[in-house]
Amino acid sequence: MKRYSLQLRLLAGAAVAVFVALAIAWVAMTLLFQRQLEQQVGQELRRDALQLIAGLSVDAAGSITVQEGPSDPRFDTPTSGLYWQVSGKSQIQRSRSLWDQALSPSAAADGLQWQTRFADGPFGRRLFLLERLVQPPGSKDRVLVQLALDEGELRLARTEFGTILAVFLFVLWVVLSGAAWIQVQLGLRPLVHLRRELAALRHNAAERLSADYPREVEPLTRAINDLASARETDVRRARQRAADLAHGMKTPLAALAAQSRLIRAGGSDPDVAADGLDRAIAAAAAAVEAELARARAAASRHRPQDAQAAPLPVAQRLISVLERTDKGMRVDYLVDIPDSLRLAVTGEDLSEMLGPLLENAVRFARRRVRVAGKALDGNILLSVEDDGPGITSGDAAEAMVRGVRLDEAGGGHGLGLAIAREMVEATGGTIALGVSSLGGLRVDLGWTSSWALTG
Amino acid sequence: MRALVVEDDPDVGPDVVRALEAAGFVVDLAQNGDDAWFKGDVEDYDIAVLDLGLPRLDGLSVLKKWRANDRLLPVLILSARSDWTEKVEGIEAGADDYLAKPFQMAELITRVRGLVRRTAGHAASSLTVGDLQIDTRRMTVTLEGAPVSLSQLEFRLLNYLAHQKPRAVPAGELAEHLYGSNEADDTNAIEQLVVRVRRKVGAARIETKRGFGYLLTDQRT
Repeated sequence: MKRYSLQLRLLAGAAVAVFVALAIAWVAMTLLFQRQLEQQVGQELRRDALQLIAGLSVDAAGSITVQEGPSDPRFDTPTSGLYWQVSGKSQIQRSRSLWDQALSPSAAADGLQWQTRFADGPFGRRLFLLERLVQPPGSKDRVLVQLALDEGELRLARTEFGTILAVFLFVLWVVLSGAAWIQVQLGLRPLVHLRRELAALRHNAAERLSADYPREVEPLTRAINDLASARETDVRRARQRAADLAHGMKTPLAALAAQSRLIRAGGSDPDVAADGLDRAIAAAAAAVEAELARARAAASRHRPQDAQAAPLPVAQRLISVLERTDKGMRVDYLVDIPDSLRLAVTGEDLSEMLGPLLENAVRFARRRVRVAGKALDGNILLSVEDDGPGITSGDAAEAMVRGVRLDEAGGGHGLGLAIAREMVEATGGTIALGVSSLGGLRVDLGWTSSWALTG
Repeated sequence: MRALVVEDDPDVGPDVVRALEAAGFVVDLAQNGDDAWFKGDVEDYDIAVLDLGLPRLDGLSVLKKWRANDRLLPVLILSARSDWTEKVEGIEAGADDYLAKPFQMAELITRVRGLVRRTAGHAASSLTVGDLQIDTRRMTVTLEGAPVSLSQLEFRLLNYLAHQKPRAVPAGELAEHLYGSNEADDTNAIEQLVVRVRRKVGAARIETKRGFGYLLTDQRT
């Protein structure tokens, strides 16, 4: 069931549940009624039996005399459905209603109490039987006294009761289902309201869901409001970044336009014009590169739960790339990272942080580049150093100022440092510049214990 | 010098070809992965400039197929992507250098020349000194058959000593070769480097000839 109506589900559920409950009630009440009916009929038959026994006598020869039968006229109407019979050793007396038939004898009857049972009777009918062994006064032998009522009468009463009850319960079911429908309508009304408000939210991102929802729906509306706020922030940030990128491209485009005009005017030395074009292209490339770095940093803000990077192999692989470059192959790399060191970022993110720093270090190094790492008090510390000229504290401060646009960070250490800073801060780390014992720049990266993993 | 340029972009490809031809190369251009793999597999080039985003067969797969077939020509990878993960992947697949787009043509020519220079004269790609085996093309060293983990600088030191054998090489000359210049405290740096290499291949293999320099020997201990 892919598409379903909540209303239909609730209604169907209520109708089925009420129906089942009422059906069970019908069965139980019918059974109770039957038991009650049997008890009542048994009592009536016993009253008739006492009348019968009062007029019963047996002489010494065993011949049974009934002075006066029970008063109910049905005993005197043949096949009326109400019968009595007294069975002695040698003689059987019975009501006129039995005509020439007899009730079946019973093995279970005793002299202690009246017993009831159902049995096949004369005229092909089922009978409800009441029976007991009785010793009339002045007689030595006991006689079996049986009274019977046609079961059809019981069944008729039961069926009548069951039908009336079923009609009543059906009406009750309809009424209860109607009540359930009203309940569902009332209960779902906030959702209809919610749908209208969500439609409004879609048309206007600044719109929010109102606060007057039932307590059960409120967590949902609050979550939707939070989501809407987060999305609005994302969209605003994305627009800002698109604008930044566009601004970053405008200057190179203006430079290209200027070069084009110069060339058309014929007043430009081709070499100078080509240099100008190259400068503009480089500026555009830097703007694009910076935007890509920022996009990567934004992506790494959402670190996967099980992210884990081993700094040693990451550093080694980065060095194996740098060793391929003309400058990189002339540099001596000192790697001092424990094999077991682990950091809770992805290997890709760590590569994007260490990569630019190592590239910078190689660019400015004279002979040596050192990359070191250690775990201290549960914190993870990584450092990249070179023996180059280092940077002045002014440049360092500028490179580290928050919010410096990456593409404005310029040449030198700037762009690489700014990219690394974006990445490190996106993963919850800190970055600091200092002077290396090798003589050049030292960049320290640190992550607090929650980012460290024991390897 | 023969060069293979693999680039599907209709502007960039011919541009690179023109620049390399101006730099004195004889250049073939392949515009898809299949063609590139075939050309690199049957022709002998001194260098390949390989774009990663190619139709039919991507650049990294072309490179892996060449290397699997023992085609050891130096390869410079070009890619529009600039992330380090891809650089590492490229180098580990067997590339020799990596250049991100957009690049300056002069930079490309410099890199290509550097690669050709580095791999030139390595036709005999293996050199044996005692039980030390130096693969100059793959830049790996094995000792009694077991690989020795050396950095580039350490490898180049060992390789240079092997090529100069049986001449002892002064520290100054080593610095000149390894760093491209020779400055005041470089002798120190070379000394430290030699200590590290000795630790990896056995101390007796690099002998210090007082007054002459360092000499690679066949000795084991």
